[in-house]
Amino acid sequence: MSSEVVLAVDNLAVEFATWGGSVQAVRDVSFKLHKGTTLAIVGESGCGKSVTVQSLLGLIPMPPGRITAGSARLRGEELLGLGAKALNRYRGKRIGMIFQDAMSALNPTMTIGDQIAETLIVHTGMSAAAARQEVITLLGQVQIPEPERRMRQYPFEFSGGMLQRAMIALSIACQPEVLIADEPTTALDVTIQAQILQLLESLQKSHGLSIILITHDLGVVARMAQEVAVMYAGQIVEQGSVDDIFYRSAHPYTLGLKAAMPGKAAHKAQLQVIPGSPPDLFAPPAGCGFHARCPHVMQLCESNAPPLFGTTHQARCWLHHAAAPVHPLRQQLIASSGS
Amino acid sequence: MLSYIVKRFGMGVLTIWFIATATFVAMHLVPGNPLAQEKAVNPVIRANLEKQYGLDKPVTTQYIIYITNMLHGDFGISYTQENRFVKDIISEHFPVSAELGLLSLFFATLGGVLFGAITALSRNRWPDHLIMVFVILGVSVPNFVFAALGQLLILKLNGWTGTTILPIAGWDGFGSMLMPSLVLGLSTMAYLTRLMRATMLEVAGTDYIRTARAKGLSTTRIFLSHQLRNAIMPVITVLGPAIAIITTGGFVVESVFTIPGLGRYFVQAVQQLDYTVIMGTTVFFGAFLVLMVIVADILYGFVDPRIRVEAGR
Amino acid sequence: MTSFTPKPEDFALLAQRPSLHHLQRPSMSYWQDAWRRLRRDPKASVSLYLIIALFMITLFGPLLWRVEPAREDLDVISYPPGLRIPALIVTDPVQWPGVHADPAALVPADPNSTQSLAATTTIRVEGEATTQYVRLTWQPVAGAATYLVYRNDHTPEAAGDLGLPLFQTLSAEELSFEDRLQLKPQDYWYTVIASDGVEEASVVTTMKVPVQRALTVSQARERGLDATPGQIVSLGAHPFGTDTLGRDILARVMQGGRVSLFIGIVAPLLFVFMGTVYGGISGYFGGTIDAVMMRVTDFLVALPFLLFMILFRIAFGIGPGESGIVPMMIALVLLSWENTARLVRGQVLQLREEAYVQAALLLGAKPLYLIFRHMIPNTIGPLLVNLTFSIPMAIFTEAFLSFIGMGVAPPTSSWGSMSNDGIKTMVNTPHELLFPALFISVTVLAFNLLGDGLRDALDSRMRSRE
Ligand SMILES: Nc1ncnc2c1ncn2[C@@H]1O[C@H](COP(=O)(O)OP(=O)(O)O)[C@@H](O)[C@H]1O
Ligand SMILES: [Mg+2]
Repeated sequence: MSSEVVLAVDNLAVEFATWGGSVQAVRDVSFKLHKGTTLAIVGESGCGKSVTVQSLLGLIPMPPGRITAGSARLRGEELLGLGAKALNRYRGKRIGMIFQDAMSALNPTMTIGDQIAETLIVHTGMSAAAARQEVITLLGQVQIPEPERRMRQYPFEFSGGMLQRAMIALSIACQPEVLIADEPTTALDVTIQAQILQLLESLQKSHGLSIILITHDLGVVARMAQEVAVMYAGQIVEQGSVDDIFYRSAHPYTLGLKAAMPGKAAHKAQLQVIPGSPPDLFAPPAGCGFHARCPHVMQLCESNAPPLFGTTHQARCWLHHAAAPVHPLRQQLIASSGS
Repeated sequence: MLSYIVKRFGMGVLTIWFIATATFVAMHLVPGNPLAQEKAVNPVIRANLEKQYGLDKPVTTQYIIYITNMLHGDFGISYTQENRFVKDIISEHFPVSAELGLLSLFFATLGGVLFGAITALSRNRWPDHLIMVFVILGVSVPNFVFAALGQLLILKLNGWTGTTILPIAGWDGFGSMLMPSLVLGLSTMAYLTRLMRATMLEVAGTDYIRTARAKGLSTTRIFLSHQLRNAIMPVITVLGPAIAIITTGGFVVESVFTIPGLGRYFVQAVQQLDYTVIMGTTVFFGAFLVLMVIVADILYGFVDPRIRVEAGR
Repeated sequence: MTSFTPKPEDFALLAQRPSLHHLQRPSMSYWQDAWRRLRRDPKASVSLYLIIALFMITLFGPLLWRVEPAREDLDVISYPPGLRIPALIVTDPVQWPGVHADPAALVPADPNSTQSLAATTTIRVEGEATTQYVRLTWQPVAGAATYLVYRNDHTPEAAGDLGLPLFQTLSAEELSFEDRLQLKPQDYWYTVIASDGVEEASVVTTMKVPVQRALTVSQARERGLDATPGQIVSLGAHPFGTDTLGRDILARVMQGGRVSLFIGIVAPLLFVFMGTVYGGISGYFGGTIDAVMMRVTDFLVALPFLLFMILFRIAFGIGPGESGIVPMMIALVLLSWENTARLVRGQVLQLREEAYVQAALLLGAKPLYLIFRHMIPNTIGPLLVNLTFSIPMAIFTEAFLSFIGMGVAPPTSSWGSMSNDGIKTMVNTPHELLFPALFISVTVLAFNLLGDGLRDALDSRMRSRE
């Protein structure tokens, strides 16, 4: 694995001011993205995945949103706290972004071609005609047939899969180093999903892209990612290589997620569901966010927040404390630290 | 697009026919038929009526005569004035009303889009609050009050300066049009401001604006090429109905400012029970409004690619 | 968390309590929640209080302010808001012979003179200038054949601004004039111009005369007031002033409010009900029935609404100047239900697909039962908002119709018809327009703001944001 770090996020915290108080959407999140690799962020919906990545580029609505702590450096350059003007040198140019629902993420009253050309013109100062040529090339790259005709069409004239391809073309138009894909395939059906993932893979190879892939589908993670971060209630609860996460899961929540995965469980009688629901982010529990649903809950979990244990493979669970009772999960973290 | 326009006009013609028939039914089939010939006092007019409407014939024949006449642009003769044709009244007074209406629609749209955009951009800060106070007043104060206030304002202005800055009444030159059309456009402006603010905020929260920001576009560019265009569309759809509001509002403003428009004439006709003029103007105004709604729809079709492209198929 | 060093006993395993977090926030019913949020919206709460206050004023106000709204008092016409109206008691006027010059003393007109006439000098007021009469006398002008008297009710703005021509003397001897024409307690500018019978004098004299309100002894007796000449009496309070017929505006505003609010509330209730039934049926049955029923509403929207209201009244044989609350209501109801019908239809169409309605259908529930048991209660929120916004519309319509003389007519009054009366005199006595217009505006404003608040409070999207 290449050790060159492209993007480093440290201790990111984001909250939203709402009528009912402030929502601690992201708490103390740190991760590193290495060149040419894919980092997957997984977790239930509402756990703060989108807020995490969107706050990097200042895309969360502010107010009500507010980044309260942390740093995010793209090759050493700090992104957080930049003004809109300074951020625009990164947005779309060095960091591209793909959103879940391409239909709503594209302007309904502007042609696909214009929307892609716009970012080219803004960032590279291309002429409109040159940008048009480039759009045709880009649409070809993402395997949209008849790009000359398609670029003059509007989003509503595209199918879901084609739209997502156009969205990808838009995000890679300026040859960014980092591509953030926020649930790019969730809204698509399975065959299209596979095609899009394949496209992303080939683009990663040809462009040397570093990808942050957000998903709640462990199947996608297994296929695409080298590194995985598991989020729960605004925090990263486990983080490590894809093998660490799948074969040496060290957090009860990850175990629960795996059990709920349809592919693996298909031969079993039924899918496992994690009982209960995530905690209220208005008032995150003083202790571990997962304690109320955890099958291994201990005395201290309720009121003491666990730190991240481990080095390259990390888990936020008291079971890994030296004084904790011996538990199979603990061996996992030790095993991966050794390897 | 053409077939869309044709279809739209087809519906429009049907609607106008419906309005004409409803008017006929209202005037003829209700107990105490006001068109019963013995009610007309003046024998000349009575003779005219009989000739024009075939009042001695059965109702179905009368209906056919009525529709045929209307197809020829013949709306009949005045019920109270000898030898005054309704179509002459319309062609004499309507241009004034149209001028007044268009001018106030212009003010209303311009102000509505402008103020709506300002409020949305300065959301929850003082320009927003200030404009919204005026907006809520604009939709809550009846237009005759605005008309009265407008006239009072001119009066005071002229009094203070000792000259005639603006004429108090009448219809002669831009000076005399200014205050009436502003007053008439006020409530529509308030309504459009509110609508524009809502759509601006809605658009600002959409995913495609987030995408535009993620692309690294400047705020100005996002505003001009993404936000404004999408936010104005709903405003265009209500322009047709807005003309209806402005037209009826015109009755009041024309009366207060003594502007020789069709609206004022209509109010007078109502007060003098000039049945035929009322009927003719109702159908005429109805047809006009239907036409305006169609025009607004077609305009919208040109702006919104979803309709333009679908219709092109 | 870093300072925390767990002790071994902290690691004791616990039994699971999966529902712990559900207990943290109280669950509230939809309506309780909406009500709580409405009360927290300051604009909506103030509006609610305002509306309650308006109802109180119009319903119970007349019990406290016991002035007959229809009583005309010609002694206090167009009086501005005030709690005391002072009036001077004067003796009943007796015939005034006037002032006549001795014909011999007059300088006759000289037919050969090219000189124009001089101005009338020294106009004098005989006695007190009161609303009963103003008696003017002046000195003769050489060569005058007759005199003209003008009265102006505002400061002359230009040289020729003389005001109302009141009188012309029959002869040169006549040197006085008694003005009894609709005198109001205000300043008047009287001008007397000499004329040789052909041409008027080019120079004129104008005199400002402040006129005092006065009652004659017999008038005062009729009112049961102290009738001593020279005494100043008080004519009773008119907090909102009086109108051109001397009627108390406060009493009329309260009475007119009953009419305006009655129309403004009952008509929307009726047409919202009608629209609910129509839309409910259309949405419930769907298919062809729905298509036909919706086409009908399409036509209804296209009708020029206010024109048809007027047509309706005329068709019912109700002319201008005749009161027609009922036809106005019928027209309002028949022409306004379309909006509600669309709303309810949309909601019903949506609800029809919901699982619990499908389940109820499977269990053999009857359509009508379903509509009333499930669908209507679920649409009540949007309906309430719809109703709230319909009220200002109905009040405006009433005001508009009354304004052009097609609404209520005397002796009934409404805020709209009062505004119509008031607008005619707005330059000199703006209060006659101000109060009814203010009440319309405040009512409409309150309902608009309440509607905004209701919509926000009932919006479940905002609920989830919290
Ligand atoms: N605009 C906002 N206002 C208030 N809260 C928000 C907003 N956006 C996100 N949140 C909160 O942040 C949490 C995380 O949201 P998100 O990152 O979108 O979840 P996901 O992991 O599904 O992408 C949500 O539970 C929500 O409560
Ligand atoms: Mg998300």
